[in-house]
Amino acid sequence: MSAPRRWIGLPVAAVVLVCGVVGVQLANGGGDYEPLRPADPCVERTVNPQATGIDGVTERLVLLGIDGAACRLHVSREALTLELAQTDEPTDAQIDALRAGLKSAVTRMKADGTLPRASQLVDESLESADLNELLKNVIRALPASVIDAAVKTDDVLIRAIDDLDLRAVLTNLDDQDALEQQVAKAVTSAVTASLEARIRGLV
Amino acid sequence: MRRAVAPLLIVTVALVLADSAVVTLALPDILVHLDASVGQVAWVLIAYNLVLGLAAVPAAMGFSRAQPRLFSAVGIAVFAGSSAVCAVAGSIDVLIMARCFQAIGGALALIGCLELLVAAYGERRGVASWVTAGVVGTALGPVAGGLLTQAISWQAIFVVQVPVAVLAVPAALAVRAAPTVTPDRHRPAVRANVTLALMSAALTAALFLLVLLLVQGWGRSPATAAVTVSVVPLAALAARPLARLLRPPSEVEVAVGCFLVAGGLVGLAIPPSAALAWTIAPQALVGLGLGLTVDQLTTRAMEMRLPRAHHAGWTIGARHIGVVVGLAILTPVFTADLRDAQVPAQQAITSLVLDAPLKPQDKIAVAEALGKELSAQEQQVPDLHRAFARLDLDPAERPAAARLERELNAQVERAATRAFRDSFLIGAGLALLALVTLIPVGRRRPR
Repeated sequence: MSAPRRWIGLPVAAVVLVCGVVGVQLANGGGDYEPLRPADPCVERTVNPQATGIDGVTERLVLLGIDGAACRLHVSREALTLELAQTDEPTDAQIDALRAGLKSAVTRMKADGTLPRASQLVDESLESADLNELLKNVIRALPASVIDAAVKTDDVLIRAIDDLDLRAVLTNLDDQDALEQQVAKAVTSAVTASLEARIRGLV
Repeated sequence: MRRAVAPLLIVTVALVLADSAVVTLALPDILVHLDASVGQVAWVLIAYNLVLGLAAVPAAMGFSRAQPRLFSAVGIAVFAGSSAVCAVAGSIDVLIMARCFQAIGGALALIGCLELLVAAYGERRGVASWVTAGVVGTALGPVAGGLLTQAISWQAIFVVQVPVAVLAVPAALAVRAAPTVTPDRHRPAVRANVTLALMSAALTAALFLLVLLLVQGWGRSPATAAVTVSVVPLAALAARPLARLLRPPSEVEVAVGCFLVAGGLVGLAIPPSAALAWTIAPQALVGLGLGLTVDQLTTRAMEMRLPRAHHAGWTIGARHIGVVVGLAILTPVFTADLRDAQVPAQQAITSLVLDAPLKPQDKIAVAEALGKELSAQEQQVPDLHRAFARLDLDPAERPAAARLERELNAQVERAATRAFRDSFLIGAGLALLALVTLIPVGRRRPR
């Protein structure tokens, strides 16, 4: 083999090695090895809450509500969550978007059949409701069909969202007990107020 | 003693050049121990390279008026003494000052040892052993520093240099070399030195950034990082037999070396995961490139050029100014990219926490603990484990929390890796620029 032919192997080997290494890295996703990119909040996502009962409804409502709010504000739900977590003074626009997002979440849950019927929430609601025992027992004795006919969950939740002091909720984010108490109280009182009003109306 | 003289001088040359990057893996420890800022601790690295780069040529000019053995002995003694001061430095200012004196001693030692090795081995073998010691020292610096920091402490890096250097002082004095009074006959090899400077800047990207990515970005220990980056010196050693086998012209060898370093840096910029295995092949490319370029360029810059010491001074200056330029270009880029990486990392973490299969109250607890940890570790890549360790979770929730912790760490690794990408690619650009400097050299010299 002549001298030039012998050394030509070095650049050829270098090109093969570099293309091979870079090619293997890229083929295995090297170019895409980046942090998870936030999804478009305006595109519907599947939400699978871990909690059950009222907690599960609340969790689903909040997750979908943040999506809706972020979509209205044209930011990612992650950016909105971080902004809300890092500020003591949420803006009116954020509060309005959050409230509208929560209401849209109720509509969506009703549409996709994930909103439980009122009768499914009654027992849990009555446990923490501030009602006299006689009234609680009357409500418990009612057939599920009567309760479901009398009280629509979506109406109750919309009422709860309208009544909820969202600024106070956001302030209490780092106080787990206060937060749970506030959200549960709003949802529970809306359910029980609805029931109470309906039953009193019937009587 | 006579047999040990030349090896001791070779080890001294390797030590002086290893010091260029030896503290890279120790910087986080130095930062904590000496209560320094990130900017200050970077000067432990920059000061040595800057002073060595600036002192090399004046030292070479002063060499012609001195006794080689006295000149070398003084240089080694100053280097050893300054290393001892570095080891006992109680403040970052003292350490940086000692590093400056260490570099001045190192410049004298490098110039002096070259002449003493030529006196001991003859022209060709003396220069070759000096050049090889430099390549090995440069490549082994971060490895040795990382292992010593992990096994003992950052001070050990400087302590181990003292006895070697102390033995090298009498070794230098034992060599009988006459002062060289050669007139300045040859101009500096500008092209070779510019290529060398650009390659040094590119290699800084490889060695300095990679250890930072491994330790700071991927949370590996200094020892693990040191063992991982040992691929570079091993591949550099493998490059020589390969070149001997194919016998390419020196321009081709250097050009191929530059291309391999650029390719290796591109490979380091795009790892598919934070597994160490993905760094091995790109490092091997960098090591092969280093082995093919640095000694070849140093030899070309010095070969047949007199006075030898002057040209050695120019090559040392070019190499270390190249390192400083590399640090000056890359440091602001990767620090800015690391800062910018915080937003996507936080959003990725938020996304995972929101969707985590945990009960709502546990999600809030996780978010709260992570928020505290992230704000407490604002200037560095966060250690999320402490946030999870503090959580009081239901045992049934622990597997999901552990899975979430792993996923969050993976996101942090992704963000850190992405933050280093631009810097590695700039390093690759510097290596390609070095390749461009070779293009006008269309001549092939017979070997």
